[in-house]
Amino acid sequence: MGFIKNFGKANSIVLFICIILLLLEFTGDRHGETELEELLFFPAIFGFVSCIIIFKVGVALRSIFMRDEDYYDK
Amino acid sequence: MISSMPPGLIMFLGSFLIPLFPHFFRQIYMILLIVISAFSLTSGHGTHLVINSMGIDFIIFHSDNLSFPFAVIFHIAAFLTVIYGIHNRDWKENVAITSYAGAAIAALHAGDLFTLFVWWEATALTSVFLILGGKSLRAYRSAIRYIIIQVGSGMLLLSGAIILFHTNNEALFQNFSIDSTSGLLIFLAFGIKAAFPFLNGWLQDSYPEASEVGTVALSAFTTKLAIYALARSFAGVEILILIGALMTFFPIFFAVIENDLRRVLTYSLNNQLGFMVVAVGIGSELAINGAVAHAFAHILYKGLLFMSMGAVLYRVGTCKASELGGLFKHMPVTAICSIVGAISISAFPLFSGFVAKSLIMSSLGYEGLTFIYFMLLFASAGVLHHSGIKIPFFAFFAHESGLKPKEAPLNMIIAMIISALLCILIGVFPSLFYQILPYEVNYQPYDFSHVVSQLQLLTFAAFAFICLWHFKIYPPELNSTVLNSDWFYRKMIPGVFKPVILGIQNLNVVLTNLMLMIFDNFKKFVNNLMFNNKVFDRETGFDTLIVVQIFGLILFILMFMHFN
Repeated sequence: MGFIKNFGKANSIVLFICIILLLLEFTGDRHGETELEELLFFPAIFGFVSCIIIFKVGVALRSIFMRDEDYYDK
Repeated sequence: MISSMPPGLIMFLGSFLIPLFPHFFRQIYMILLIVISAFSLTSGHGTHLVINSMGIDFIIFHSDNLSFPFAVIFHIAAFLTVIYGIHNRDWKENVAITSYAGAAIAALHAGDLFTLFVWWEATALTSVFLILGGKSLRAYRSAIRYIIIQVGSGMLLLSGAIILFHTNNEALFQNFSIDSTSGLLIFLAFGIKAAFPFLNGWLQDSYPEASEVGTVALSAFTTKLAIYALARSFAGVEILILIGALMTFFPIFFAVIENDLRRVLTYSLNNQLGFMVVAVGIGSELAINGAVAHAFAHILYKGLLFMSMGAVLYRVGTCKASELGGLFKHMPVTAICSIVGAISISAFPLFSGFVAKSLIMSSLGYEGLTFIYFMLLFASAGVLHHSGIKIPFFAFFAHESGLKPKEAPLNMIIAMIISALLCILIGVFPSLFYQILPYEVNYQPYDFSHVVSQLQLLTFAAFAFICLWHFKIYPPELNSTVLNSDWFYRKMIPGVFKPVILGIQNLNVVLTNLMLMIFDNFKKFVNNLMFNNKVFDRETGFDTLIVVQIFGLILFILMFMHFN
């Protein structure tokens, strides 16, 4: 209960769903369009890592592409 | 009689009578125009109206299995936009919406490039008034840039059509090769409206400047008309696969750092167009079905997302993530509709995005395009990040902004609920949806593998976002401008040419002064020769002048003899 309190109820529900989805992998034949996709938990790892990469690249791009709000009005 | 009229024409022509109607009757009239136009779709497939003029066959009304699904969704989009904008008393915007939608629908039924050109330009000229509807200096400037680019696209199309007509004595709207000059010009014309990489600046520049209703209308027609045109003329052109993959890839990062949520949606729109362009590039029956299905579903869920952000803009006056948050308590229906749109665009099972995007992903798998497949898979995680989470989260949850707006007006809520229901219906009954697609579909999106893979991908991507937010790694949204490809013509070209023009002006001044100085000195020199008893002074040097003239004459004769 302490974890749920710290992590938040909604976040804990998402985590619970994530675990269920990982377990579902063992209940049926999950195959993919490519061989790589058929590795264990591949979509889960790919989704998690992609989101982190997008975030990291996005933050890095702030220094290159971000300007003042009135940049074009000057 | 009505059914033989090209769909969209009645909307285009009828829109000019809109100012004559008072508010409310005006909206009924607009819906009536849409219904009459939709009735023309019952004519069936084939060529229904050809007008010969100046030795050219203008194919005004041609319908087939590709134009039909686009025509259906364009009518639905026009209807939803009218409902969404019932509160809007600005007749100019109503005229623009109806004529713009009519022009786009009529363009779908053009059978030759000259007819297409007319409607292509008509969509540009009518839609610019929607951007002007933003009623700000930024909107005005953006509208000017928009119309220049859109008309430019039309000029490329016309050039291609003329070259083609000159060669073949006809300019049918059909398959072209990009190896020919005409094909390349037409390809570029379509590419501008489809927001290809580096040709996309107008999209993010202009759409967010329109009014809340205008942006909903804009999101539906222009870009999807371009996708339709690409599918008709360049299906299977391999370069489109690469172009589309880049379109899905790069806008993700810009969407992540963008603060204006309507602008985030335009990056997302660009990304979604990429999926469609990839499918057109593959060109197989399954892929073309995927492109059309994705365009159909996309118009609904993207429209829904723009509607929800438009409702926020209408009530709060801003769409900046940095200034929003905690609106769920005050605008719950808008928030729920926005979440449905977000889930749909993220392609969660049981929502429209899933049944449409699966067709494209599977066609990539069947063709063995593994690298592109993973690019699009990565882009799918990106869609969840910027449209699936960022849009509803920063507007309706995140931090408490202190804003306490009223719920959106009833008409907006009705339009959003209809859109949301359509997103769910398409997702729940894909076989019904697939019947409208150009080719027969033997595809089952709901199998164990597809569903579990997609849910794992999306849920873990969402979990990654949750971790970033919960552990305060996600940086706060900042009021800012994100540079895009429009920077080239808004900053770089003026930046380069301004010094050049200033340099030319300065050079002009220097050269003018120099010429004046030379002329002054020459005048002084002549004065010195002619006067003050100098050699050409008539009083003292008349005989000298005669001697000089004789010498000159001899010199002339010698030169004449030498060169002859």
